Amino acid sequence: MQINYKRQLNALIKLRLKIIRPLLFLTIVPYFCFIGVIAFKPEMFSPFIFDTNISLGIFLGLVLILLIFIITVIYVYLANKFIEPQISVIRGNE
Amino acid sequence: MNKLILSILLFSNLSLASEGNGENNHISIIMFVLFVSVTLLITYWASKRSSTADGFYTAGGNITGLQNGLAISGDFMSAASFLGISGLVYLTGFDGLIYSIGFLIGWPIILLLIAEPLRNLGKYSFADVVSFRLNQRPIRILAACGSLSTVILYLIAQMVGAGKLIEILFGLPYYSAVMIVGGLMILYVTFGGMLATTWVQIIKAILLLFGATVIALLVLFQFDFDLNLFFNEATSIHKKGITILSPGGLISDPISAVSLGLALMFGTAGLPHILMRFFTVPNAIQARKSVAYATGFIGYFYLLTFIIGFGAIILISNNPAYLDTSNTLIGGNNMAAIHLADAVGGEILLGFISAVAFATILAVVSGLTLAGASAISHDLYANAYLRGKQSEKNEMLISKLATILLGGLTIYLGIIFQNQNVAFMVGLAFAIAASANFPLLLLSIYWKKLTTKGAVIGGSLGLFSAITFVVLGPVVWVDILGNANPIFPYKYPALFSMTITFTTIWVFSSFDKSENGYKEIKKFDSQYFRSQTGIGIDAKTTH
Repeated sequence: MQINYKRQLNALIKLRLKIIRPLLFLTIVPYFCFIGVIAFKPEMFSPFIFDTNISLGIFLGLVLILLIFIITVIYVYLANKFIEPQISVIRGNE
Repeated sequence: MNKLILSILLFSNLSLASEGNGENNHISIIMFVLFVSVTLLITYWASKRSSTADGFYTAGGNITGLQNGLAISGDFMSAASFLGISGLVYLTGFDGLIYSIGFLIGWPIILLLIAEPLRNLGKYSFADVVSFRLNQRPIRILAACGSLSTVILYLIAQMVGAGKLIEILFGLPYYSAVMIVGGLMILYVTFGGMLATTWVQIIKAILLLFGATVIALLVLFQFDFDLNLFFNEATSIHKKGITILSPGGLISDPISAVSLGLALMFGTAGLPHILMRFFTVPNAIQARKSVAYATGFIGYFYLLTFIIGFGAIILISNNPAYLDTSNTLIGGNNMAAIHLADAVGGEILLGFISAVAFATILAVVSGLTLAGASAISHDLYANAYLRGKQSEKNEMLISKLATILLGGLTIYLGIIFQNQNVAFMVGLAFAIAASANFPLLLLSIYWKKLTTKGAVIGGSLGLFSAITFVVLGPVVWVDILGNANPIFPYKYPALFSMTITFTTIWVFSSFDKSENGYKEIKKFDSQYFRSQTGIGIDAKTTH
């Protein structure tokens, strides 16, 4: 029983990491790339995208805002779908 | 008693306002009086439910994810960020976006790393989590110092901004504006606790989102919702022309860029008034939902401020009605959104937005005061001073006294700092939150080998170094104190102070071979189990 219980807990921690790690990566890396371009090569953000009057910087900035929101939605979805059932199992064993 | 204070406040507000530039702000006064009346009614209703510690600190813990998401955004979206960021966009275009994104990037971090363990381990304050397996007294004192310095700096910045804004909007003298904000904040928090604060924040968030949406839609309507035309128009009007669409030198050297980025990203996850909101929901499921809602609302709000800033470039930067003799906006660049409201929606929208700005200030300062009061009553008094052997009744009394004390202090500091440059204070608050509060919280949750010794030494050094670097840096040492050269060369200290915190915590915990340290490490597994599963939170906690 004790061993089974430990295995379930380890599985839960592993699952959480599997969900959190890529999302954390998706948060930190694009943000520091964005800040990095502004600090090192700001002119990279000047050209217009396609044939609009919207600069690449503004476009990517707005996309980043959207991305941040999407990350939170994805996490809530995955956590409710995969993590919660595992916690319920452990809770049942308590 | 309650009603007496109310009528005095409202009366002084009305009479003073009509002495000022009375005519054009009837609508804003009516809207504001309506907001205050409704929120004071809520406070009265909440006062009956806030008599227990649980009711006072957490609103009974029964707030839903959506409600908490709205309240979090109401707690976070300050008048400074509404008016400040739209003003920055008005002035510089693209650079305003850097701040918007910075203030938003902390939310996924809170969600992925902090929100659920915080809810599963804590009860009333984030110090509950940090001290879960460590020595209560030193940890509580340290966490309370971190909380109080963050809260007080933030409060001063809000209060000075509020006084100046209300002076312009309602024609009230600075002093009475500060007194009214401080007085209302004390009333909400002492009588209504977290429940009243939550509803003040929810109502304010809805009003602010609604008002900003209306302005943005009215602006875009003038361009048939064609963004191409919109940006084209803005670049042809702005004196910096096309360069407003790309980075304009807000951040130039890479170290400042990374340092500011770190402070914003991890500072949000160390703000005590934000962290406290996670104890108002019943479980981790609602806690995580509330972050997603909050991120959605706050992100949407920043999109609106961006449109509002550009709208202001097009519609008011050439309109003499909104400019003074030197061709700058009346009241400064931060008034861009307010003037724009008048330009696109006339007197009614102007009145509405002015009242919303006032409501926004109240909601933010109330949340801050409550977090500060709980640091004093729950962490310092009940757990550090009385070592947890308090009666709940006494703790409640102390929390109310602490609220009044903090309110009084804020009014006093608001007046002292009236003519000082306080813009750096929010930056410093974020730096402290990122360098002291956040590392303590993160490592106490995830790092098994953290001991009291490491946490106390590292946390204090982080707090101390963040403050020292800002004081010795360009903003305070040169701009405010008038010295020729800064001793610490960078504006943003987080990169250095966070490194100091994490390194010293790591070193002193790793070399801590004391018996206490060994016991604390042994307690980690059961704490980790609870933080990951939430099993055990329903049972009464024994700290």
